[in-house]
Amino acid sequence: MLQLHVWGPAFGLPSIDAECLAAIAYLTQTTSRAEFRLVQTSPSAVPTHHLPALHDPSTDTWASGFAPITSHLRAHPPPSFHDASPPRHADSTAYAAFLTAHAAPLVALSLYVSSANWAATTRPAYSAILPFPLPWTEPPAVRAAMGRRAEHLGMSSLDTDAEASAAESGQGRGDIAGGAGGWVHIPAALRRAPRSVKDALAPEQAARIRLDGLAKDVLNVLSEVDWEAGEPRTTAAARCLAFAYLALMLVPDVPRPWLRDTMRAAYPRLCEFVETFRWECFPDGGGEVLPWSDGKASGSSSSSSVTRGSGGFLGVGARFAQGLIFDIPGIGEEWHRWLARRKRRAVRQSGDERQIQLSKGSDALVVTASAGLALLAANIGVFLYRAGGMPSFGAPLHSWHMPMAGLSGLGAAGALFSGALGRRY
Amino acid sequence: MSVWPSPAVPRPLQQLFDRVPLLTYDANVLPARSQSATSSRLPTLYVFSTDSDARLGAPSYNPGCLKWQTFLKLARVEFQIVPATNHASPTGALPFLLPARPSPSASASASASPAPAPVSSARLQKYALEHGQHKPAEQTPTLRLDAYQALLDVPIRNAWLQALYLEPRHAALLDRLYVAPASSSRWVQATLRHQLRRAAEAEILKTSSSAGGSASATPILVDESAMYAGARDALDALADLLAESETDWFFGAPSPSLFDASVFAYTHLMRRLLDGGADGEGEDLKIPARLGALVRAAGTGELERHQSRLLEMLWPGESLSGR
Repeated sequence: MLQLHVWGPAFGLPSIDAECLAAIAYLTQTTSRAEFRLVQTSPSAVPTHHLPALHDPSTDTWASGFAPITSHLRAHPPPSFHDASPPRHADSTAYAAFLTAHAAPLVALSLYVSSANWAATTRPAYSAILPFPLPWTEPPAVRAAMGRRAEHLGMSSLDTDAEASAAESGQGRGDIAGGAGGWVHIPAALRRAPRSVKDALAPEQAARIRLDGLAKDVLNVLSEVDWEAGEPRTTAAARCLAFAYLALMLVPDVPRPWLRDTMRAAYPRLCEFVETFRWECFPDGGGEVLPWSDGKASGSSSSSSVTRGSGGFLGVGARFAQGLIFDIPGIGEEWHRWLARRKRRAVRQSGDERQIQLSKGSDALVVTASAGLALLAANIGVFLYRAGGMPSFGAPLHSWHMPMAGLSGLGAAGALFSGALGRRY
Repeated sequence: MSVWPSPAVPRPLQQLFDRVPLLTYDANVLPARSQSATSSRLPTLYVFSTDSDARLGAPSYNPGCLKWQTFLKLARVEFQIVPATNHASPTGALPFLLPARPSPSASASASASPAPAPVSSARLQKYALEHGQHKPAEQTPTLRLDAYQALLDVPIRNAWLQALYLEPRHAALLDRLYVAPASSSRWVQATLRHQLRRAAEAEILKTSSSAGGSASATPILVDESAMYAGARDALDALADLLAESETDWFFGAPSPSLFDASVFAYTHLMRRLLDGGADGEGEDLKIPARLGALVRAAGTGELERHQSRLLEMLWPGESLSGR
C-alpha cells in the first residue's frame, strides 16, 4: 500500500502545505482510497527531508516533491490508477512552473511573512499538527525558509517582528549612549513619538497598493486559464497544483486577508474553481474521510499519528534535537547537510538489505551524536547566560537607580569618609 | 609658501635625506585592455567574458549576460564588450552598459555635461529600443508569456546552476570560467569556489519546489534527479511552444524577440559548454548534467534548430565548439 507522507491538516484543508495538498488531491482523484494511506508528519521524519514524500513498498522507493510523485505514479501505477488527461502538455508544464515561481511567494507573504497572520493563524495551525516539542523548532525554520522565498518581492515590512527587534536593539544602544550622558533619562514608554498617519496603519494597509499589484500580477496570469476538468490543455496534475496554491490564498481565515479580498473582488472564476474542486475532491471539505494512517485527521488530537509514524517518543526527541542543532550558528547547517546526505544515500541504496542494516545500526549513532551536540550547545548557552554575555529574558529591562547624592557618590573614598562621619546613605 | 616660518631641518635628518635621493616615478599607463574602454566612441557592455572573446564580440558564457548581448545585437545596437565581474557593476550584477560618452570637442564646449549614467540590465530593453536601428519584434503582451518565462526562471535556471556549479563533473569548467580569472592565489580560489557553490545552492533551494525549499523545515539538499527531470519537461514544453508557432520564432513573431534571446542564452550555453558530445557518450541521457543533450532531445529538435538559426543570424561563422 502506498504511503503518502504529508504535513498535517489546517485551515479546514487536508494539508497546510501547498505541494502536500496538491499531492493529496491528485492521489484522491486518480487512485482508489483503499490503495494509499496518508501519514501526517514533518520533513525531519522522512529520509528525503522534504514533503510530500511518497513511499512505494512495491519498488521500495521514495519520491519526494509533487512532480516526482506524479511521474512516479505514472511510471508505476497502482491497480486502480486512472488519469485520463494527457501525460503532459506544454501549457501545463509552464503553468506549474509559474505557480511554483510566483504563487508560492505570494502564499508565503500572506501566511508566513506577515506577522499578524503568522501569529494568529499559521503558527497555531503548526502547533496543532506537530507533536509536543517540535513546535518550538520546526515552524520558525519553515517561516525563515518562506521568508527567503518571498524575499525578492521586497515586502519584508509585513514582518513587524523583525522590525520591532531591530528597533529594540537600536534603542538599547541609544540608552547606553544616553545613560553615559546624564543621570536622568526618560524611558522609551514615556517618550512621545511623533506619529503620522502611516504609523497608525498596519503594514498590510500601508502597503496595500503594492500587495494588490503583486497579487494581480500572479492572478491575472492564472485567471486566463480554463481550469475546468476535461479541458485538454490542462493536465490533472497542473489542476491539482493550481487548486492547492489558490486554496491556500482563499481558504485560511487570517486577520489581514488582503490576498483573499483581492481574489474575491476581482477573480470570481478562480474562487469558483477552488470551491468546486474542493468539494469534488474532499466531499466533507476538510478531508476527514481521507485514509489517514491512524483513522483520524482532526488537527488537535493527531500527535499520536506522528509519533507512531516516526518511531515513538525517541524519534520525536531526536528530531527535536536535530532542530536545536540546526539553530546553532556555524555548525548547525553543516551538520544538517551531512545528515541529509547520509540519509538520502541510504534511501537510494535501500534495495540492498545490507545497507538498511547498516543505516539502522548507525541511526543510534546519529541519535547519540545529535543529543550530545544539543547538550553541548545547551551547556554553552547556560555558560554564556551565567557569564552575563546574554541579555536576560524579557528585555527591554529598565533598571532605575536613584542618583547617589552625598559622599557615597564619591566611591571608595566617600565610603571611608561616610564611615568616619557615622552617616549612612 | 606657508605663513609660519618652517623650522630648520635637524642636521642628521638632513644628511640622511641627502644620502637617499627622492625619485618620482611616472604615472603608470592604463592597461592596454582599458584603452578601448576609455577612448572608444561606442557604448560598452560589461559582461562575463574572456579577453579574447570580448575582442571578437563572441557570446558571453553567462546566461544573464548572453541574453542581453543577444537582444542588443537583435536591436542592432553598436556596442563593444568588456570582460568584467560583479564587483565592477554599480548594481552588483552584470551585465550593465555604459552609454557612449560625448565626443571630446562636444564635452569641451559643454564641460558641465556629466558622464552618462550606466544602464542596468533592468533598463537595457528600453535602451535597446531607443538606440537600436532595428526594432525587434514586440512581444505580444500575452499572459501566457509570463508562464513560459517562469519555465526559464525556475526549472531551466536551476538545472543550469546545478550542472555548472554543483556538479563535480564540471568543476574544471567552473574553475576556468569563474574562479581562475578572479585570482591566481590558491586560497582565494578555494574560498571563491566555496562561496559560488553555496550561493548557487541557496538560489536553487530558494526557488525550487523539488529541492526542499518550499516547506521543508531545513532546506538542505538539492535533489538532482528531480531537477534534471524538471528541466527536461521545461525544455520539452518550450519545444512544443516553438512547434506551435507559425514562424521560426516564439509566439508567432515575425522576427526574434526578447523571449527568443532568453531561450537562446540558455540553449546555446547548454549546447556549447555542458554537452560533452565529443567524448563519445552519444545520446545517453542517463549521464547527469548533460544539459546540451537535453536541448537536442527536446521535442523533435526545435530548440536545437532555433539555437543554430539565431547563432547563424547574429554570429555568422561562430561554431559551437568555439575555440
